Amino acid sequence: MDPKITEVSQAFERFKAAFVRNDFDKCSELLSQLKVLLTKFKSLPPLFEETPNAIHELTLARDIYEHAVVLSVKIEDLDAFERDFFQLKPYYTDACGRLPQSPQEYLILGLNLLRLLVQNRIAEFHTELELLSAIALENPCIKHAVELEQSFMEGAYNRVLSARKTLPHETYDYFMDLLAKTVRDEIAGCNEKAYDSLSVNDAQQILLFSSDQELVEYIKEHPEWEIKNGFVYFKQARESEPCKEIPSLQLINQTLSYARELERIV
Amino acid sequence: MTQDIEMKEQQPALSNSLSTTAPSTFQNLKEIAALIEVGAYAREVRRIVRAIRWTIQLRRKLKASVLSAFLNHVLVPGSELQSRLYSHLPKEDEQDMELDTATSATQAPAKHPLPELEVYCCLLVLIFLIDQKRYSEAKACSSASIARLKNLNRRTVDVLASRIYFYYSLSYELTGDLAEIRGNLLALHRTATLRHDELGQETLLNLLLRNYLCYNLYDQAEKLRSKAPRFEAHSNQQFCRYLFYLGKIRTIQLEYTDAKESLLQAARKAPDAALGFRVICNKWAVIVRLLLGEIPERTIFMQKGMEKALRPYFELTNAVRVGDLELFKKVADKFSNTFSSDRTDNLIVRLRHNVIRTGLRNISISYSRISLADVAKKLRLDSPNPIADAESIVAKAIRDGAIDATLDHANGWMVSKETGDIYSTNEPQVAFNSRIAFCLNMHNDAVRALRFPPNSDKEKESAEKRRERQQQEQELAKHIAEDDDDDF
Repeated sequence: MDPKITEVSQAFERFKAAFVRNDFDKCSELLSQLKVLLTKFKSLPPLFEETPNAIHELTLARDIYEHAVVLSVKIEDLDAFERDFFQLKPYYTDACGRLPQSPQEYLILGLNLLRLLVQNRIAEFHTELELLSAIALENPCIKHAVELEQSFMEGAYNRVLSARKTLPHETYDYFMDLLAKTVRDEIAGCNEKAYDSLSVNDAQQILLFSSDQELVEYIKEHPEWEIKNGFVYFKQARESEPCKEIPSLQLINQTLSYARELERIV
Repeated sequence: MTQDIEMKEQQPALSNSLSTTAPSTFQNLKEIAALIEVGAYAREVRRIVRAIRWTIQLRRKLKASVLSAFLNHVLVPGSELQSRLYSHLPKEDEQDMELDTATSATQAPAKHPLPELEVYCCLLVLIFLIDQKRYSEAKACSSASIARLKNLNRRTVDVLASRIYFYYSLSYELTGDLAEIRGNLLALHRTATLRHDELGQETLLNLLLRNYLCYNLYDQAEKLRSKAPRFEAHSNQQFCRYLFYLGKIRTIQLEYTDAKESLLQAARKAPDAALGFRVICNKWAVIVRLLLGEIPERTIFMQKGMEKALRPYFELTNAVRVGDLELFKKVADKFSNTFSSDRTDNLIVRLRHNVIRTGLRNISISYSRISLADVAKKLRLDSPNPIADAESIVAKAIRDGAIDATLDHANGWMVSKETGDIYSTNEPQVAFNSRIAFCLNMHNDAVRALRFPPNSDKEKESAEKRRERQQQEQELAKHIAEDDDDDF
């Protein structure tokens, strides 16, 4: 077998061992080494040359990148996730004819969708969704992400938080935590506009805090809210009603443009 | 002047002879070839455009015999091009061929063919092959033609070239190999840009967008579209196509207002004959309007020829208008095949949210106060915890400004606010402004689109006459200025 491939495989074995031990620093180090070694292979994207060991090299490279993606979730580095995912993508799209399907493919695709959702990049979420085939959409990992997005859009936030209990895979934990935080901010925003006042208990329940203390802390971040007699008052947020004034500048601009255009009509 | 009169004479002759048999088609083809020659020598692109229009009229009458006779007449016999094109045509009707070759042999001397005529012959053969559904041969023919076109750099060839690009892409699409030619199309687009061939650029950009959208690569399509050079549209059909692709991309990217504008414009500008195109524009436009929260009028679905195709969308609109989730689910399941073939199924999934919103709005308008349990029941949310769901959904709707109400958690009900008088706000002003702007833009576009006949025969003004004219203009200007002062 090609000495380069043997070298890469050995390094990869060491990487996997360190990963299982949760030794993330060693993992990152080995990963950078592996990436440098991978550049020596000509059969990988973007060249896609037809070398005799192409299939083997492609499969190996794909495994390495998949592990890299999962590693970036473990060390909670979203930028690294994005980078590694983009490097992984051509293996799924362009090389899919030549390689057998990876068992982790749907998991990683689901993770990516979830990441886009958490970062509120809904347009890209939908663009990615279009690329998925009907079979992919049936897969539980991906279905989970899609349903989450639906609930998020509709505003049924309690469904979002309960979905946390039915995760298809443990790697989803990190994103769900981030999502919980975003959801909480959203709920707070909605409650401001929707309720005049809430009792402290109810507020705690709705915002899904486990104790009064956390609620008080959270309220400190929102200076417009007041706590009085065991009730949270949101009224302040609505005091600033726009006064009925005429937007004179806008009117002047519009009228001037009408005059100019009409003058041009011969 | 005499040339124009010739053209006019040929046109009525053409319309008469369109209904008769093959030899007249041959006659027409000869006339078209003559027109192309004239256009090439005079470097007038408009004649070539007219020639193409006539060819499209003749499309149904093309037969192998006519084509072989025409090729004989136009191309140098025995040339490599001619033998290649001949090989594509089936050898049938030997008698007709002999007759035509006899007549042509007496008329035309052997001549060196113009590159335009050669390209035109390639185009004719391509059209013929595609109409006969021989797609793999069309693929081969078009690839060879494109290779030939790379060396030609004349404006008059551009019009013919853009047609060939279109059929090239079409032949690959019909055989399912679109991804192969993506690299070629990109290279051709580069060349067209370098040569300032605007019609070619337009056509190729549209073909590339179509290529990407066929494979759902919206990301790449958008990247290309945003970076490609933009200019005034040369061809109405290409502009319509571009608007349609743009609308599709914007819809997927959740920019519904822009998408609606593009799609509606594409549907309006499309020629009446392009029924399939208008149908699909209308389908997407309906969905985008639903996603924006407005209900399209019934007349849209009743347009001539489109009723059957738009039927699923009509029922969908009904479900969204009523705000009934169960009906919506039923319609989505019933027509799921249509929706997936139109590639709109992901968009339909997004509509669920709109159905809930509309239902909420109806409830909020009809009730001044309603309990959340009843809201959940009316919306028919099938979930394990309907009341909590309903509460959060209503809260979000209030925040987004879809309904005007407040929630009372302790008592568990929703209290709607009174809607004020809309005429005392700025709303009418804004609506009027957008309409005025649209009308004024349309007027400006129409003025810009005016065309005047070419002025080549006007005599040059002598210096005296020019001075006279300038003097007159100055006096007039002074006069107007004085008048204005008087008014003041």
